[in-house]
Amino acid sequence: MAVKPVVQIRNLTKVIGKKTIIDQLSFDVYPGEVFGFLGPNGAGKTTTIRMMVGLMRMTEGEVLIDGNSIKTDYENAIVKVGAIVENPEMYKFLTGYQNLVHYARMVKGVSKERIQEVVQLVGLQGRINEKVKGYSLGMRQRLGLAQALLHRPKLLILDEPTNGLDPAGIREIRQYLRTLAREENVAVVVSSHLLSEIELMCDRIGIIQAGKMIDVQRVNDFVQNEQAVMVSFEVDPVEHAVHAVKANFPECDIEQADRKLTIKIEHELIPEVTAILVEKGVRVYGIQSSVKTLEDVFLEVTGGEQVV
Amino acid sequence: MLHLIQNENMKIYRRVGTWVMVGLVVAAVLVAAIFTNMNASDETTNWRTDSENAIQQAEETLNNSEGMPKAFKDSQERSIAINEYRLENDIPPLESDSIWSFMDSSTGVVSLISIFTIIIGAGVIASEYSWGTIKLLLIRPASRTKILASKFIATLLFALFSLVILYISSFIIGGLFLGFNAVDQPYLTYSGGDVAETSMAIHYIVEYALASVNLLMMVTFAFMLSSVFRSSSLAIGLAIFLMFTGSQLTYILSQYDWVKYILFANTDLSVYFDGSPIIESMTLGFSLMTLLVYFIVFLLLSWLLFTKRDVAA
Repeated sequence: MAVKPVVQIRNLTKVIGKKTIIDQLSFDVYPGEVFGFLGPNGAGKTTTIRMMVGLMRMTEGEVLIDGNSIKTDYENAIVKVGAIVENPEMYKFLTGYQNLVHYARMVKGVSKERIQEVVQLVGLQGRINEKVKGYSLGMRQRLGLAQALLHRPKLLILDEPTNGLDPAGIREIRQYLRTLAREENVAVVVSSHLLSEIELMCDRIGIIQAGKMIDVQRVNDFVQNEQAVMVSFEVDPVEHAVHAVKANFPECDIEQADRKLTIKIEHELIPEVTAILVEKGVRVYGIQSSVKTLEDVFLEVTGGEQVV
Repeated sequence: MLHLIQNENMKIYRRVGTWVMVGLVVAAVLVAAIFTNMNASDETTNWRTDSENAIQQAEETLNNSEGMPKAFKDSQERSIAINEYRLENDIPPLESDSIWSFMDSSTGVVSLISIFTIIIGAGVIASEYSWGTIKLLLIRPASRTKILASKFIATLLFALFSLVILYISSFIIGGLFLGFNAVDQPYLTYSGGDVAETSMAIHYIVEYALASVNLLMMVTFAFMLSSVFRSSSLAIGLAIFLMFTGSQLTYILSQYDWVKYILFANTDLSVYFDGSPIIESMTLGFSLMTLLVYFIVFLLLSWLLFTKRDVAA
């Protein structure tokens, strides 16, 4: 089934002076998915987001939101977007509620009930009539999320959404974003440096480095597409086991420790190895495959280098 | 668009600073009233002899006015006509401690309002940048042009609001301190050789409007600087500095003819009603055109820089 993407980014390029900040970026985001936008500092995440919401002009390329061009049909495109760009900065001398009223007035069809509903959603009902001055960073983050959701956008863009939240808050936001994507079919674009966050929150990830998209993949593929994985077998006796594996898989690396045998093999072969071990009378106490974390892959893909 | 102006108003009037400024306007009027009341003399001069003297003096000056500029002669003729009208119809001139002459001196507070409106106008764009809220403000289905226009309108509404406060408060405070007894005195206008009576209240509204020309231009200037530099302190500083030095500057340069194209040579329109312009060839029409050109240029620059520039940082 061909699902129409909510965001289509084509050859997005930004040149400032002589420097190419963003270089021929292209990717799509589909309804109902959480897309993670990952990259080292200075890679161009925020610049890309700014161009997506029209705060910056693109030098080249095109951003379509639900088929409407940000460049030529801005008002019809942006009305489908809710966003927090960088920190959720609010009018500090206004109350949380007044801030929401402010943004609600700028879009058609946001009722008072909708404002209340959103306030409930982000869990600010107790403090909404206080001035933002007295809010903690986490509360501002929630208020930022509330203003982004007011007009029921089809696309939610969040820059570092869990920044400043406590663990419970992070978990809450994560679950909320997942629910939003699943139940309301909203496309969510999340940028973050927090790799573990992205891993837990996102369906797909785009890795950007030095203004180029190096890789776009599903999170699961991303961490599991490596053919060979490291598998540890807790066995007794180890010598028998090493012998058996060597006989059957002569080309594979074997590490041997006390009661532990670690080999690098294809994921598909784990049952076979187990069968052979059992056949040879080796007692198997445990099998553990260590999946590469996203962080490993991220560092591998970006070469672990610092981008200045 | 109305919603956008409502938003800007909310951001202006929900701040304490705004109300401090409005309070200062009223306080300035109050202080002025107290001083006027303290210095008021009880001796009543005979205005009839004063008027007769004034007529005589003006006639003498007119007789010896060979080679004087026409504007000067006009002002003498005006003085004669008005004083004669006073004597004929028994209308005394304003006494220095009457409510209306107090209103007259309170037009000076308009420059205080100019400063406050410059502060508001300079902040209305630049603050959004310094607060960082510009990023959330601009990602809405409202064009940058409309947002800019709503900000400008809200700034002018603040000026209007302050002027109304000034007008009402100086009327009430003036009346309380100096008495309302002179309220029904008419204002005498002179044009084309005829003297006519108009309401004082309307006369002072016109006075305020004339005094506000400078306000409007300086606020628009500050608004432009705010959009160009995105820094409210720079915009406030530069606009207020030029507001105070501008007229001196034109005075110093008044030997050159091109000085008439300088903004500040044109902001005081009252010279066309009583007084003489800094360069003789200037007319009301010329000044209005010059002001209009400046006004459009200021707004165009604000618009260009607000709508076309990237929002970074």
